[in-house]
Amino acid sequence: MSALLEARSITKRFPGVTALREVSFDLRPGEIHALCGENGAGKSTLIKLLSGLHPHGSYDGELFFDGAPAQFASIADAQRTGLAVIYQELALVDELTVAENLFLGCEPRRGALIDWDRIWRDGRALLARVGLDLAPDTLVGDLGVGSKQLVEIAKALGKNARVLILDEPTAALAEREVDTLLELLRDLRRRGIACIYISHKLDEVFAVADRITVLRDGATIITLHTPATNKNEVIRAMVGREITEFFPRHASHPGEVLLSVDDLCAAAVKGGPARLHHISFELRAGEVLGIGGLMGAGRTELLMHLFGAWGTRLSGRVQLAGRPLDAASPVAALAAGLVLASEDRKRYGLILAESIGFNLSLSSISRLRRGALIDEEREAHANQGLFSSLRVKAPSLETTVGTLSGGNQQKVVLGKALMTEPRVVFLDEPTRGIDVGAKLEVYTLVNELTAQGKAVVLVSSELPELLGMSDRILMLHDGRVGGVFPKAEATPERLLAAAMGRTLTAA
Amino acid sequence: MKTKLTLRDFSLLLSLLAIGSFFTLAAPQFLSSRNLSMLAVELAITATLALGMLLVILPGHIDLSVGSGVGLMGGIASVLIFNHHWPAGAAIAVSMAAALLLWMAMGSLIVRQRIPAFIITLGGLLIFKGTFWLVIGSRTIPVVAGGQSNLYSLLTTFYFPPVASAVLVALVFAGLAGLSRRARRRRSALGFAVDDAEVAFLKLFLTAQGLLLFVLTVNQFRGIPLPVVILGCVALVIQVITRHTPFGRHLYAIGGNEEAAFVSGVPVQRTVIGAFTLLGGIVAVTGLMQTAYAGASTTTVGDSMELDAIAACVIGGTSLRGGRGTVLGVIFGALIMASLLNGMTLLAVAPELKFIVRGVVLTLAVWMDVKLAKR
Repeated sequence: MSALLEARSITKRFPGVTALREVSFDLRPGEIHALCGENGAGKSTLIKLLSGLHPHGSYDGELFFDGAPAQFASIADAQRTGLAVIYQELALVDELTVAENLFLGCEPRRGALIDWDRIWRDGRALLARVGLDLAPDTLVGDLGVGSKQLVEIAKALGKNARVLILDEPTAALAEREVDTLLELLRDLRRRGIACIYISHKLDEVFAVADRITVLRDGATIITLHTPATNKNEVIRAMVGREITEFFPRHASHPGEVLLSVDDLCAAAVKGGPARLHHISFELRAGEVLGIGGLMGAGRTELLMHLFGAWGTRLSGRVQLAGRPLDAASPVAALAAGLVLASEDRKRYGLILAESIGFNLSLSSISRLRRGALIDEEREAHANQGLFSSLRVKAPSLETTVGTLSGGNQQKVVLGKALMTEPRVVFLDEPTRGIDVGAKLEVYTLVNELTAQGKAVVLVSSELPELLGMSDRILMLHDGRVGGVFPKAEATPERLLAAAMGRTLTAA
Repeated sequence: MKTKLTLRDFSLLLSLLAIGSFFTLAAPQFLSSRNLSMLAVELAITATLALGMLLVILPGHIDLSVGSGVGLMGGIASVLIFNHHWPAGAAIAVSMAAALLLWMAMGSLIVRQRIPAFIITLGGLLIFKGTFWLVIGSRTIPVVAGGQSNLYSLLTTFYFPPVASAVLVALVFAGLAGLSRRARRRRSALGFAVDDAEVAFLKLFLTAQGLLLFVLTVNQFRGIPLPVVILGCVALVIQVITRHTPFGRHLYAIGGNEEAAFVSGVPVQRTVIGAFTLLGGIVAVTGLMQTAYAGASTTTVGDSMELDAIAACVIGGTSLRGGRGTVLGVIFGALIMASLLNGMTLLAVAPELKFIVRGVVLTLAVWMDVKLAKR
């Protein structure tokens, strides 16, 4: 059978990184094809390319739709051809009705006016196709996530989509909603609508997919027929990379317990559902605790909560150096000797319009005083010290941070954290989006910190980094501790299995 | 931090020269010592309020209620003095305390209940206006009881005698020169970029020229008006607060990126409440000066002053999104707004046209600033 959608040796480069390398992929009519891979394996980039978000000409290689070359100039272009992407963050307007959303941007008209009769009539028909028993004039904001997802699919069907691309569609769904969704996809398959299904949840993948393609480091590793494979084989294909990068982790000599977390439960807002469930761990002086997990497992939430910048605590005790830490605010956390370098540099890390010096001293400026005024001499010396010891590549301390490269921006974020003279340092994805040289400098810094008796929590999506730099590794799965592994017992397969909420069985 | 004059500051200076030349040609009395003394008082009032506004715009907020606040704070003092025969000092203290409390309350509502400043201060605008009219019974209440002057009326009628004025200006210049020398030496010791010696000298020279012209002109009338000295003190305080205290750093950080500031350990709520409270104090000072300048509290005192204050900030290069703005820029912005109004009043321009011209100038200034920023 000829392919409905085919990608032939696609290469996509971003400044400094090659996101996709000679990737080939094909989707047959009436097939559900799952796409698996670790965070950063290139799944999202491939989807963006297939859906026209990265237009033709921004990549090498060719796309074919229905046997003919496809050169999508935009998302609208791809939609007209028959491709629709259902993103994780749903693209619906809460304040409008279901039917209005279904026809948003392509409202049927009679003359210059909107043909409301058709909107209600066709809207009802579309909802019936996805099995949603809803009045078309229900407000989207009143729907749950599961129903919203189905409305999105109905919207795509209304645009005559022949290929649906679902990116982590079940991340926020309850079990029953997942079943409904999978049943709908099987139903659509019977009617000839093909589907690319991206998910970390292997149970779902095996329940619904005809074939599974594994991506790793921007390359296609293997395409498997679901009946002829098993979960362990897929996991091995996802992680099976040689650890070639250099991780200079020194031997550690853990000291007394600095941070202890006991049975912590927390929710995003007061009265909301818990996102972190019964988390317990200890962190010792001089130790690096790696925390891993898949996207949405709650890694960032855990760090931000302990630091006082996210959510409310439902239960549990947290102690820092023997004193209770109540996560009231970052101000309190910093005073207690805890500091966080955020994964999202631009959002939580830096004041981009200000200078390097302004940013470096921001967390410590209240201490760098003489009377009521800032002691500018002391501030400049402190800034200068970090500026040169971290080897920030910039003309001077007065250079605007927004103009620096990712690696140098990251150094400023780290420098700001270090200036507070912390005892416990939280590093959330400290090497994301920075080049190899800068990564190595970050690793060296981690060694220096632990040698000084500080404790480090290292959150990372990259298994080699977790394995290479941690003394112990804690994997989170869906807001819970999926497993804790001493360095000697950690293998990529075990970690990934723990992140997926499974214990690895012998193949 | 940055001491260099930017292209934007020069664009302000040039606009100001253009406006001044136009009015001088159209109405030669614009440059008379009497008119310039009036202009100085008007500038001092507008600029003082605008500097207060800067404090809340820097962290990305806004205050629409300051105009009504100016009327109310002046009104409270007037009524206490004229109707209840309080001593002026006590009446002024009551106004000041009321303003500090009210603005602290508005700041708390904004950050703790997460209601946008636009809404809270719009409510304040209406509430303060109504309260003001209630307080003065919608009548005209003079700032002095029985014709003699008091501390309140002296706010805008006191002039430093010519000799004292000259000494004052000399002292100010000596202070500025000393500070600039010290800052220069310090910066170069720390390895920061400093202006060329020629540029630094030129700046000081221009400042000296400006100060000398100013004092010679106002001395031909009655000397330096007290409001100018009040503005000088307010400007000095705000400059020190914004540039040399952790509180000021935090204002810029919150305006630049509130989330990053919060995660960096900036006490966001406390800082914003502090900024509003300081603004309250400045509203009281401005209200007393503006009412004293008018001679009495009437229902129109303070009308649309919030717009002049915001306009002065924006013309002076302050970003309404927060994170950008300087004391010097705001003073220039206020000077442009005050000169326009003063010049048009001299030319007896119709009030309708005055509004339109101020609107056009504000729009042009922001458009120019956006253009220059893109370079």
